[in-house]
Amino acid sequence: MSHHLFLLSPSDTPLYSLTHYSTKPASTIASPLSSNLPNWSTSAFAGTLTALSGAGSSAHQTASGTVRMGGGQDRHVIQIIANASLDAIEDIMKTQNAMFLKSVDKFNEWTISAFITPGNMKFVLLHEGKNDDGIKSFFTDVWELYVKTMLNPFHTAHTPIKSLVFDARVRASAKKNL
Amino acid sequence: MDTHAFASLAQVRILLVPVGNISESTFNKYATELRTFDAIRLGDIPADNKDERARFMPNPLSTGYLHLSFPTHPPPFSHLPLSLLRPSNFPLAVIGLAACSKTDTLPTILAEFNSALLDIFPAGGMYPLAKNCFVFEEGEGNTNVNLGDNLPSLVVIPSMMGNKKLYIGTLLADLCSHVLGEFGTLVQGLESPAGNEHLNSALMPMLPPPDLAQPLDNGNGRKRDSLPPIPNGHSDMKTGFNLSSASNKRNSSSGSAFRHSTLSVPPAKKRLSSIGVASSHGRLFKVLGDFYLLAGRTEDAAVWYNEALLLFKSSSDAIWQAATLEGMATVSIIDAWSAGQGLNTSISSNKDQWIDVFDKLSQAITLYHRSPSVDGEHNYSLLAYLYSCSVLRQASLLFSIWSAKGWGPLAFSTMLQPGPTPYLPPTLSHEGLTSWAHLERLSTLSGISRSNISTVLSQVHGPWLLHLGPRERISILENTASLYSCLGYRRKEAYILREVLGCILDLIVCGREEDGFSRLSSVPLPAGLGIQGPNSAGSSQRGGNVGVRFSENMDGNESVLKLLKYVCKVLGINLDAVRVLENPDVNSAPVETSTASIEDEIATEFSEPYGWPELQVGVVREAVAVAEALPDYLAVAQFALSSLKTLQSVLSSGDQYHLYATANRALLTAHRRGDSKSVEYWSGKPLVSISLSPLPLVRLPIEKPLSALQARASDIAPILTGATDPFLYNPRRALGQGKTLVVQNELLEFVVALRNPYVFDLEIQALTLSTSGVPFESKPVRVVLPSTSYHVVTLTGKATETGPLVIRGCFVQAPGGTKREFTLPISTPEEEERISRRRAALECEVGRSKYAGLDCFPWEKAGKRSSAQLSTSTTKTPLRFSEFTVVPEQPLLRIRRTSVTHGAVMMYNGEMSTIRVTLENVSPLPIDFLRLVFDDSTIAPAQQALANGDLSVFDTYETEYDLLHRPVFSWNKEETKDIPPGHKLTVNINCYGKVGCTTGTVHVSYSYVHRPAANLDPSPPVFHTRQLSYPVMVTVYHMLECQGMDILPFPSVPSDLNDEQADGDEYRGNEAGWCLFSVEVRNTYGLPFEVSFERIQQGRLRSTTSTTVSPGSTSRMVIPIKRFILSEAHISQPIPTLSDRQFIVTKSKLSKTQERAQRELFWYREELFKNLRGRWREAGGSRSGDLSLRQQRMSLPMLETLRTETAAIQMTLHRQEGEDKVPCTVTGGKFYPQSSEFVYLRTKVTNLSLTSQVFTIDFDLQSSQHIIFEGLLRDVPIGRLESGESREVETGLCFLAYGRFEISAEAKIVGSSESKGTGRLTAMVRAEG
Repeated sequence: MSHHLFLLSPSDTPLYSLTHYSTKPASTIASPLSSNLPNWSTSAFAGTLTALSGAGSSAHQTASGTVRMGGGQDRHVIQIIANASLDAIEDIMKTQNAMFLKSVDKFNEWTISAFITPGNMKFVLLHEGKNDDGIKSFFTDVWELYVKTMLNPFHTAHTPIKSLVFDARVRASAKKNL
Repeated sequence: MDTHAFASLAQVRILLVPVGNISESTFNKYATELRTFDAIRLGDIPADNKDERARFMPNPLSTGYLHLSFPTHPPPFSHLPLSLLRPSNFPLAVIGLAACSKTDTLPTILAEFNSALLDIFPAGGMYPLAKNCFVFEEGEGNTNVNLGDNLPSLVVIPSMMGNKKLYIGTLLADLCSHVLGEFGTLVQGLESPAGNEHLNSALMPMLPPPDLAQPLDNGNGRKRDSLPPIPNGHSDMKTGFNLSSASNKRNSSSGSAFRHSTLSVPPAKKRLSSIGVASSHGRLFKVLGDFYLLAGRTEDAAVWYNEALLLFKSSSDAIWQAATLEGMATVSIIDAWSAGQGLNTSISSNKDQWIDVFDKLSQAITLYHRSPSVDGEHNYSLLAYLYSCSVLRQASLLFSIWSAKGWGPLAFSTMLQPGPTPYLPPTLSHEGLTSWAHLERLSTLSGISRSNISTVLSQVHGPWLLHLGPRERISILENTASLYSCLGYRRKEAYILREVLGCILDLIVCGREEDGFSRLSSVPLPAGLGIQGPNSAGSSQRGGNVGVRFSENMDGNESVLKLLKYVCKVLGINLDAVRVLENPDVNSAPVETSTASIEDEIATEFSEPYGWPELQVGVVREAVAVAEALPDYLAVAQFALSSLKTLQSVLSSGDQYHLYATANRALLTAHRRGDSKSVEYWSGKPLVSISLSPLPLVRLPIEKPLSALQARASDIAPILTGATDPFLYNPRRALGQGKTLVVQNELLEFVVALRNPYVFDLEIQALTLSTSGVPFESKPVRVVLPSTSYHVVTLTGKATETGPLVIRGCFVQAPGGTKREFTLPISTPEEEERISRRRAALECEVGRSKYAGLDCFPWEKAGKRSSAQLSTSTTKTPLRFSEFTVVPEQPLLRIRRTSVTHGAVMMYNGEMSTIRVTLENVSPLPIDFLRLVFDDSTIAPAQQALANGDLSVFDTYETEYDLLHRPVFSWNKEETKDIPPGHKLTVNINCYGKVGCTTGTVHVSYSYVHRPAANLDPSPPVFHTRQLSYPVMVTVYHMLECQGMDILPFPSVPSDLNDEQADGDEYRGNEAGWCLFSVEVRNTYGLPFEVSFERIQQGRLRSTTSTTVSPGSTSRMVIPIKRFILSEAHISQPIPTLSDRQFIVTKSKLSKTQERAQRELFWYREELFKNLRGRWREAGGSRSGDLSLRQQRMSLPMLETLRTETAAIQMTLHRQEGEDKVPCTVTGGKFYPQSSEFVYLRTKVTNLSLTSQVFTIDFDLQSSQHIIFEGLLRDVPIGRLESGESREVETGLCFLAYGRFEISAEAKIVGSSESKGTGRLTAMVRAEG
């Protein structure tokens, strides 16, 4: 089961991203509708379509059995799903006060949870299973780490986070919570 | 295309088909007219009460409605298996629309209609159930209308008919009645046991009419008037009840069997051979329900649906069950609509009213989603289609309620009669209504949040979309995108739109690959394209297969590109950043100015990153690929260049290369194909600086006022005033004076610095200077800028007239693009101020975000900014550009030859030599003004020293003297004359060897001053000169050194030796007013020199002393000089300055006497040097020169020696001889008086000074005890003596002993103890004999 974390600046630019593969097995049930997909190879555009519709990942799933280790998921698709989920996140964050928005959106096989800091940073996590408590504590950890990073006076809301320490700690938290 | 209206299940579809040569607009007109009939009252439908056909006919008094929809596209053939499961998906009737003109005959129209129907509907389908052809008469024609009565399925609508609408309504009602009748026939077939088995034979059974008709009833297939056994009754309400009980019973008996069979044998295995075996009637009831729903009889439909559901509950027929649930949901909405018809008031946000419908649909969706894939391969597409449709249905339920502000009539009509724009409800159709606040208000009113709708809607998206055929996929994706768009979820919309584009492009590409013909008709282009012929019969008969180039079908490209731009915009890329412009006329100057470029530059400097770089890069790549595939070459170029411009920081170098190459290729292609448009210049501001490459010094014109030609009145030699410019013509000074001068018709070179921030080599097709003012001839240059670097280009050109020339900037043109001007204004202080303010404001703002997400697109930022600091800076000051003044043509002079070899002159110190310089006029203009100015390396240090002002007065004088009277170079002004074109002139320049001089320069200024005045305007008070410089290396050997100057008293010669050996009476020692000048001359050079000093004292004989000084040796030169005295007036003058310096404060803190002493020293030294002249000559050579004594200092003793004493004292001894006093015998200057004899000492005092003085005398008798004297010895008064006057005093003496007596006298001026003159007398007293 994989998780994708994106830290998005107010202008939707990712400042940090993390792909985490947890040892827990994926528990999604594939619809019979998405089996036996036609094999498209007619043009490059069909490839785009295949990827965007989410067929790419499930095709991979069927190809290599239940274990799915990253590779098959199109990075671009993950990103665009995360980006598209901002619509729902922005909508909800305007009406709700909560910082942690759990399962705010669903797209293809992904569930999206988000965390919004007071500085309008958005932490977006794409995950497959349900793990609300783990995700919440993970977000809290990331937030704390982020706040520590922001204490650097040279760090603005638009500066990409390249700190290795930050990365290591986020990974550790992901390992623990996800 | 296909709309997914919520109530589509209840709508009778009537396909509109164009027949004959009806034009598109006419067809659309009639189609619109027909579409106004979206519902027909059941009461209006003529009932056909014949047997089974009457089953679905409305009751005479029923109040319901029959809902109609008029698609223009038939469903694809692949939907045929749905014909029983989803009858509403198919056109139940067809109306052909034909326009009848004079030439057409009705039979041909009918034939065409029929053949079109054969094309549209395959032979195997059961629909349409009814058809008709409406022939609209066009014009005033009186065609063979009458024939219309003979043809059954043809109705002619005359053009002159008044109330067409009413008539058409009647016709439609007839048609519907026919359809309802056919329902009855159909159901009758299905109700037979065989029919029922057939219905249950497959997941999606088809009902081929011959198949059903032939075995069951032996009649012909078209007219099913035979009567199969119908188990249930005729009257509708009753049958419903009976049937339910009956079916319940049957169900109990046969349900298990059916279940058993489904469990053990897949339905697919069921063949028609199994006809007769009792199957569940669930499907049959569901079909009945569908037909009742279509017939507008919702109560019946609801009853049958419920029956069906009961049966499905026990069996696991998921798809049919789901379809039933959908039908039930539709029934509730229709009921609600009919109930609320006419009441527009009651809107409620209560969920209870629709939650039931919602639940049913959710259930249906779940069922579809989990439906087992049992029935072979091809069913996937239909299953996915059904699933997607039901999701869309649920979403549109929520959406309709949401957009209608709640559950109410508006929502119902949105669901039932979506109209032409199904996803733009009136509540959202205005521009301002899409704001977040408004959308949120809808959510609050309706109780449905947008995220709810989105959650429902997102179920539609999944890998199963790939199962769908392209047409369904596009349709579903389009609907999804529209819904997202209305919800304000633009990112999701963009996501879906990318898929839509992918679909469309895939079809385009594939269609093209297959063949050139089918592409045009088979490619479903995006919505809004209008009507397309359902059959490509017209295009398929086009012949030709080799070498035919089809013009590209451009239809729809526009829309695809629009979609692309929209998607990119949502992701924060402005694909319109580079505009496509109509190619401007070559001659017309582009008026566009980029005055705001500086602001833009600053803004880009502080621009924050927006968006998701990786996504942006991906989507841009895709956009370019899409545009290439269309193909739209200009769009390719525009997209590629726009992304290069806006995403430069994000794009990898490989992408940059790719995009640039693609853009260039596309532009080339576009031009080859004669595209008249081109892209504007895109790559930011390439221009960094423009500067005139400095003219070579020989060509540089220098402006001079004409008054400079007049004789100068001022006396101060400019050479001394080093602070101001020492040169008459200084090129550097001209540069500082603002406008640079350039010469007409001479080539100017401008150095242009350009910048390329990209990783590829940027090509600029044409780079020209943008000028205003006088005409300027220059040619465009093609430049390739190396990657990520600055590049310097030299542009040349020529001004053809005189006057101001303004260089505004450059015109830059990229290959295939339009020209664009980039100006380069000179920054004024105000401008600088403004820019720095702006910069500061932006700097303050950067890093803070007020708006987030889609509200902070970079291109919207400027508009949303409310900072007063930034907005007020709009006051524009006119820009200033670098200006040049073009002056008339100038002559050109060059140095033809000189007498200097290797440009070097070697001289001895003090030597004078001559350089000859030959000048040649190489221009076609004469030269009538020539002047030489010199410079050498000694001038600057001297001027510096003078300017510092630290020098003492004395040194100042020396320095100034050196500068003025002993220049290294000089010339004779009289040598100048006019030089006609092509002629030469030789100029002699004198050189003076001055130690310390290493280099010198000869500046020749020349001009053509007196040119004929071509125009009448007053000649400008200026003229222009050019300058020619000739540097000379100067080596001056310092070979003779004077030192140790001294002035010695000329001692009295002891007269013992020889009285007469001296030259006449010239040198008579001190007493005679002579002194000796001596100086040591050292030869530090390797050659012997003959040195001579000459005395040129006035009124005296000239006298010379000379000697040869051999190398390394020192000789002392001695020459007697007559002592002199300078008048008090002369001495009291201050030391003069040769320049006009004003000494405001004397820096020296000298006392009066010291100052006086200094002045005396100065003036006596000057006088001394005037009287002496030192010369040297090379021994055995011809070279000679002056020897300067100016380094020598004069000391006070020397002054004393040189100066004549104030009083001269002459003493004589006299003896008394009788009355007379006879001088004693004098031998060798000594007196020989007798001892013990009275003698008289006569002392004569002469006033040698130039004023009258009062003198006294002191005598000094050394051996006074041996001398008796009379009177006083001290302060003997002499009295006042006028200048030159003398007076004698006598003193009586007697020498009392033998021996030598020295008597001295000292003259003094009364009141001072200073000696003003001394006298001396030696007396030898010896014994007689």
